[in-house]
Amino acid sequence: MSDPALSAAREPDPFGSPTPALEARGLVREFAGFPAVDGIDFQLGVGRLLTVVGPNGAGKTTLLRILAGGLRPTKGHVLLDGKAVDVGDREWRRRIGVVSHQGFLYGQLTAAENLEFYGRLFGLSDLAERVPERLAAVGLEDRSRSVVRTLSRGMRQRLALARALLHDPEVVLLDEPYTGLDAHAAAVLNGVLASLKDGCRTVVLVTHNLGQGLELADRVAIQVGGRFRWIDDRDRVDGATFEAFYRNVVEERA
Amino acid sequence: MDYLRVIWTVARKDLLIEMRTRERIAAMGAFVVLVGVLFNYSIDTAIVRPQEIAPGIIWMTIILGGLLGIGRTFHLEEEDGAFSGVLQAPIPLDALYLGKTAANLVILCLVTVLIFLVFGVFFGLSFGSHPFVLLAVVFLALLGFVGLTTLFSAMSARTTMGESLLPVLVFPLLVPMVIFGVSATSRLFAGRPLSEVAGSVRMLGAFAILSVGAGAMLFRHVVEE
Repeated sequence: MSDPALSAAREPDPFGSPTPALEARGLVREFAGFPAVDGIDFQLGVGRLLTVVGPNGAGKTTLLRILAGGLRPTKGHVLLDGKAVDVGDREWRRRIGVVSHQGFLYGQLTAAENLEFYGRLFGLSDLAERVPERLAAVGLEDRSRSVVRTLSRGMRQRLALARALLHDPEVVLLDEPYTGLDAHAAAVLNGVLASLKDGCRTVVLVTHNLGQGLELADRVAIQVGGRFRWIDDRDRVDGATFEAFYRNVVEERA
Repeated sequence: MDYLRVIWTVARKDLLIEMRTRERIAAMGAFVVLVGVLFNYSIDTAIVRPQEIAPGIIWMTIILGGLLGIGRTFHLEEEDGAFSGVLQAPIPLDALYLGKTAANLVILCLVTVLIFLVFGVFFGLSFGSHPFVLLAVVFLALLGFVGLTTLFSAMSARTTMGESLLPVLVFPLLVPMVIFGVSATSRLFAGRPLSEVAGSVRMLGAFAILSVGAGAMLFRHVVEE
């Protein structure tokens, strides 16, 4: 289900550049003295997908908000292509796409109007071609004139995905994208994620769905209490051991 | 050019949503008609000349009606986190503020036309012999009002007290608008010479520039975490 409309963000580096596409260095974020994110470091190369799993309250969403530029870390830095970025950095926002719990959609606008609105904010000029193409890529071509409020949860989630990828971001951050999706919508999402990897986009996926997360990942991490308790390349991780560790950690927290 | 494009895109979207839902215009319109009807029955025109008290009532209606609608600017954005999505876009935040202010200004101008119509009909008001100066007075006061209210609406949307906090925050800052708006409108309604109004117009102009300028500068500090 790899879709060419969602591929080709950038060419893979034939020389295997040592500079990671996305890097977190010592990220800490405190709320009223409580660290929601507590010293997170990782590096992620071009076209790689990091899956982060963890129990509720582990700080996964806070981590994504920092990576997305929506929240300033108390300590540490986020680096894109080796350059530190700050919350107000517009170039950072241009290069990042975010899919959250919320769709970031206007319920009173149609599916196409939502994409056109965001497209204009990103300064895209080929919206007449791009919007129908992206709607088709997520299977919503026949709902382009439907008001978002009338769409099902799964359709909204697919539209949110099209919105996040409309400007061809190099780094895509997904927060629980499988929540509320039926089998068809989950299959579309899997196809889109495969397309992203083919297109050499760097992806961070936060999910509770351990199986799907492991299947897609190049790197995997378990976040608990704001910290990564485990982070490694997927091909060096035994699925059963990883799963057992995860269950242990979740039970410890419970 | 990009800057103007952002302002236009945001204003167009807000107006399109308002056209579809009529949520704020309906609330403000109903309030305006209610105030008009209430004052129509509560004022004995044999004792009080409506022409003399109308400016105060008109500006009170604009302020309270305006807070009712414009105060909800950012609450309407919270559904499905749409405003967080807008903040993810690589746009200057002051342009975002100006776009929202422009849409709010259009909405409040429409409501103000209704206010003048309602009070004109109910009280048989004469609006004086300088309609364009009256227009300038109203426009400058509305611009200043919308500039402040849009900023404070963003602020109150991010607090737990929400809309109830808005009047407390914004009323003290509206004093110049009330003083100079009512003063200029009263003199224009009474057919006084323009030289008596010029000072108020200048003050309203300064109020509008300061409100919108401060709003554009402070908006990013309000919306960024």
